[in-house]
Amino acid sequence: MSSIELKTGEKKSGGINKVFSKKTVIGTRVTKPDAPDKATGKTIYINDMVLPRMLYGKILHTDRVHARIISIDTSAAKALPGVHVVLTGEDIPLLKFGTMRDNVPLKAGKVRCIRDEVAAVAAETEQIAAEAIALIKVEYEDLPAVFSPTEALQEGAPVVQEDHPDNRSLAYKFSHGDVAAAEADSDIVLEHEFVVPYVTHCCMGPGCAIADFDSAGKLTIYSQTQYPYNYKMDLAPAIGIHPGDIRVIQPPVGGAFGSKLDVYPFEPICALLSKASGRPVKLTFSREEEFINSPTRQPAEFKIKSGVNKDGTLTFRSVDCLMNNGAYTSWGPTTPIIQMRTFTGHFRVPAVEYNGLAAYTNSVYAGSFRGYGNVQATYVTASVMDMLAEEVGMDPIAFRLKNAQDPGEVTPQGSKLDDCKLKECIEIAAQKTDFLSKHETYAGLCKQPGRIKRGIGIATSIHNAGGAKIHKSDGCGSILKLDDYARATLITGASEIGQGIDAVLTQIVMDELGIPKADVTIVNNDTALGPWDVGVHASRTTFVAGNAALQAARAARKQILDAASKQSNVSAEEMDLRQGHVVQADNGVSIVKLDKLLRQMHFADEPELVMVSEYFEPDSELEDRNHVGNLSATWAHGAYVAEVEVDTETGEVKVTKITAVQDVGRVINRLGIEGQMEGGISVSLGYALSEELLIQDGKVLNPNFRDYKVPTAPETPEIELHFVESDCKASPLGSKGIAELPAIIPAPAIANAVYNAIGIRFFAPPLTPEKVARAIHGATTQ
Amino acid sequence: MIENYSVPSSVAEAAQLLQQGDATIVAGGTDLTPQTEAGARTFASHLVNIQRIEEMRGISTSDGRFRIGGLTTVTEILESKILAEEIPVLVEAADHFASPQIRNAATLAGNLCNASPAGDMCIPLLLLDAEVELASWVDGSVAIRSVPLAEFFTGPGKTVLQAGELLVAVEFRQPAKGFTASFQKSGPRPALEISTVSMGLAAVLQDGLLTGVRIAIGAVAPTPLRATATESTLEGRALDENMISSAVQSVQQEVSPIDDVRASAWYRKHLTGVYIRRALSHVAGN
Repeated sequence: MSSIELKTGEKKSGGINKVFSKKTVIGTRVTKPDAPDKATGKTIYINDMVLPRMLYGKILHTDRVHARIISIDTSAAKALPGVHVVLTGEDIPLLKFGTMRDNVPLKAGKVRCIRDEVAAVAAETEQIAAEAIALIKVEYEDLPAVFSPTEALQEGAPVVQEDHPDNRSLAYKFSHGDVAAAEADSDIVLEHEFVVPYVTHCCMGPGCAIADFDSAGKLTIYSQTQYPYNYKMDLAPAIGIHPGDIRVIQPPVGGAFGSKLDVYPFEPICALLSKASGRPVKLTFSREEEFINSPTRQPAEFKIKSGVNKDGTLTFRSVDCLMNNGAYTSWGPTTPIIQMRTFTGHFRVPAVEYNGLAAYTNSVYAGSFRGYGNVQATYVTASVMDMLAEEVGMDPIAFRLKNAQDPGEVTPQGSKLDDCKLKECIEIAAQKTDFLSKHETYAGLCKQPGRIKRGIGIATSIHNAGGAKIHKSDGCGSILKLDDYARATLITGASEIGQGIDAVLTQIVMDELGIPKADVTIVNNDTALGPWDVGVHASRTTFVAGNAALQAARAARKQILDAASKQSNVSAEEMDLRQGHVVQADNGVSIVKLDKLLRQMHFADEPELVMVSEYFEPDSELEDRNHVGNLSATWAHGAYVAEVEVDTETGEVKVTKITAVQDVGRVINRLGIEGQMEGGISVSLGYALSEELLIQDGKVLNPNFRDYKVPTAPETPEIELHFVESDCKASPLGSKGIAELPAIIPAPAIANAVYNAIGIRFFAPPLTPEKVARAIHGATTQ
Repeated sequence: MIENYSVPSSVAEAAQLLQQGDATIVAGGTDLTPQTEAGARTFASHLVNIQRIEEMRGISTSDGRFRIGGLTTVTEILESKILAEEIPVLVEAADHFASPQIRNAATLAGNLCNASPAGDMCIPLLLLDAEVELASWVDGSVAIRSVPLAEFFTGPGKTVLQAGELLVAVEFRQPAKGFTASFQKSGPRPALEISTVSMGLAAVLQDGLLTGVRIAIGAVAPTPLRATATESTLEGRALDENMISSAVQSVQQEVSPIDDVRASAWYRKHLTGVYIRRALSHVAGN
């Protein structure tokens, strides 16, 4: 070391200059900064929080699905000692909110579904609040109800929302090419119908909010929201205040998965109780309330017609999607925006059309859920792809490769597949699993006797991987500051809901500034501090917030190196930041310790703080009226293979292995991406085999973990992950969004594997043991 | 609402407390807590925690009889060396029971008194002709009555247990030589699963003939069911395909399952047939 000739440098006491080699943390395994506290039980989740003088809120949900409210008697509840406030819909002004402005916090006059909130109390304890709720007497007159979207659209059906007498909610129409001509010219045309169920998020932390009005009429709300900035805009009309008067604080939450991407009535109710009582009010759902009153994934009925020529070329695809809107409109019926992209743009289909319609019913309503409509679309398309392949006598791999797009192609809706890796994903998935030989062997054994049948199946999909421009801006702001000790704080708009953006942003700051993990703090839980961000959705946070952080870190780095350059005779370009030092890039020799330099900058005659702010807006487009536009700055594909064993006697399906191949652009946090993909696969495993929120005549039959079957550890299969790193050009970080494809693709891969095993196709997941047994044993009686 | 809370340390003390009436007994609490939380059950004014009654714990044998204290946890049954050796079907059922966390808290007496038609520990104990020992306070001392487990259950959540009575222990005779038993349980998940159907079958196979046939089935009737009609049609018969077919037919007639959110009656009957076939193959294989 001493032999290195130094231009300038900081001498250690022994006179030897320190040398630091270049080390990047990008692509390594970094533990989430909050993991030790969560693992040891130190984390204070929102559900654990208690504020001084806090009251406990509780909601009286109706037990009717459609009824006129004749009277509500709250006198006994009001008289109960410890009760501060009792509110009904009659006590508050008309406060319409929601996607279609068709919901109100407390219902007056009429209830339209089992979730409806007819009264609320705030009391000194949870127990008193519960007792008060039990004392409220509501008299109803039941009204004719409608639960199926098909029936809701018929003439004379009960009207759910008076402003929509035909029960029609949102509708979508897209068409490209001459579908009728393509159909007439096709060698083979297949038609299928699929029905996909209600499933729910199952957040470990049930719904919770704490609202606190100050004397000036400003609201601080502690919320589980995953979109804090637009949340203010959506919450304000439901309380009747200005969005600017709302401050959102986001304590740690026990999961969200899309369920906290909208305002739900309990939140404005909590705020209204605080306003009326002059106290902070906390409102928490029980697990049963969480199952009944939280949004679900959008259920739907699909009719799909597909054409193919004998040589295996896809000719057209025509899709009708009928959605049960439920009684109110949250994000569920908007999921066609993403779903359509798969139906119209996954594989090269020259003529495509999509018609989507949501019908109001007296059922519960759906919100957004990891995968956003694409879970449903991929179940349908991946099943149909296998059926088409079989029809033309091709194997599932060759058929997909024949119709897969090449880099640079643009889909009918304008998704630009600049760096399309679909073929690569399919090829790797087939090769890693020995797909073709297994597929042929299992198909041969399918009709042989034997209790256990094996099968292998593949599914693929496409998803937005560079954000999704559904608002005028899809950006994220970042503020980065360094203190006198070279400790960095990144203030970002991006929320942490468990997905791991805290680790990713920490890595980016560490990497650009050459400082250790412990010296980076992420602040992202207060709208009064953070700059704007759309929210945690659309697999966008690493892509958008990551690049915003990268821009800020690079700006801070430039400021630091420029200052260092002024003090030494080394140019900024020849320097690097490594392990707390400014060093010479070529030989790693320390020029000055970073903290010392920062103090010199701060306490100079012309003082300078390192304190930068940046905004990253992805290069994407809003859709036009015809649903055309490059909605996401980049797109990613995945190909997943499932291997299963089917017990032909009991109908039990065991998934033995999932092999996931996905275009991720570039791995940032290897530990995080593995966790995201494994978690997503578990979501999809439940969708495939066991999860369904059973709703009969508008009522939830299984609102508990005993009868709503989420997968548990023992049935989680072996998971093998392969990352295709395309080094995405649309992202300065090189990474793509990855979080939703793992929750989207496995289910149809499992269904295709079950077909390979037993020769039976399932058009309505989940493939429960009973459903499979019925199909095998030909039982028709219920 | 709970007004009093007691923690007796002996059966005598507990029996005296229970004699005063209006009491809820709590041991592991793994059924009681979710039921009261969900509003399906309400607490009596007096909550009696029996967890500290040492004489109600443990597994012992004497004079060819096994005795399992009511407070023995499912984990203790799962980890019992003597049961693994002598009565492996009990350990198998314990292994299928809920999850490790619940097994650590749940007690044998609790599982029996909860009287779920799907209760996992009921099935192997029915195969063993077990009896339950019920204690109460009568005329200044503890009175014990024994009830065959097959007569203990009267309906979903209902037993012959009377107010003031406490299930102290379960007893059964050491099974005959050559006794083979199996336990099967179905549901979409291997863990934390309430049975769609569970079945136990025990018998002695000698010279190709079945004797001492016991069949117990969970979740196909209002109580855990002893399929006595099917037992007698199998008794003394040669174990062959003919016999298996008639067993399937007979047992499917004997069960009276319902449609509910977990499964249809059709599927429960279907599984009953699948399981009796498997159970008989298991006996044949031993």
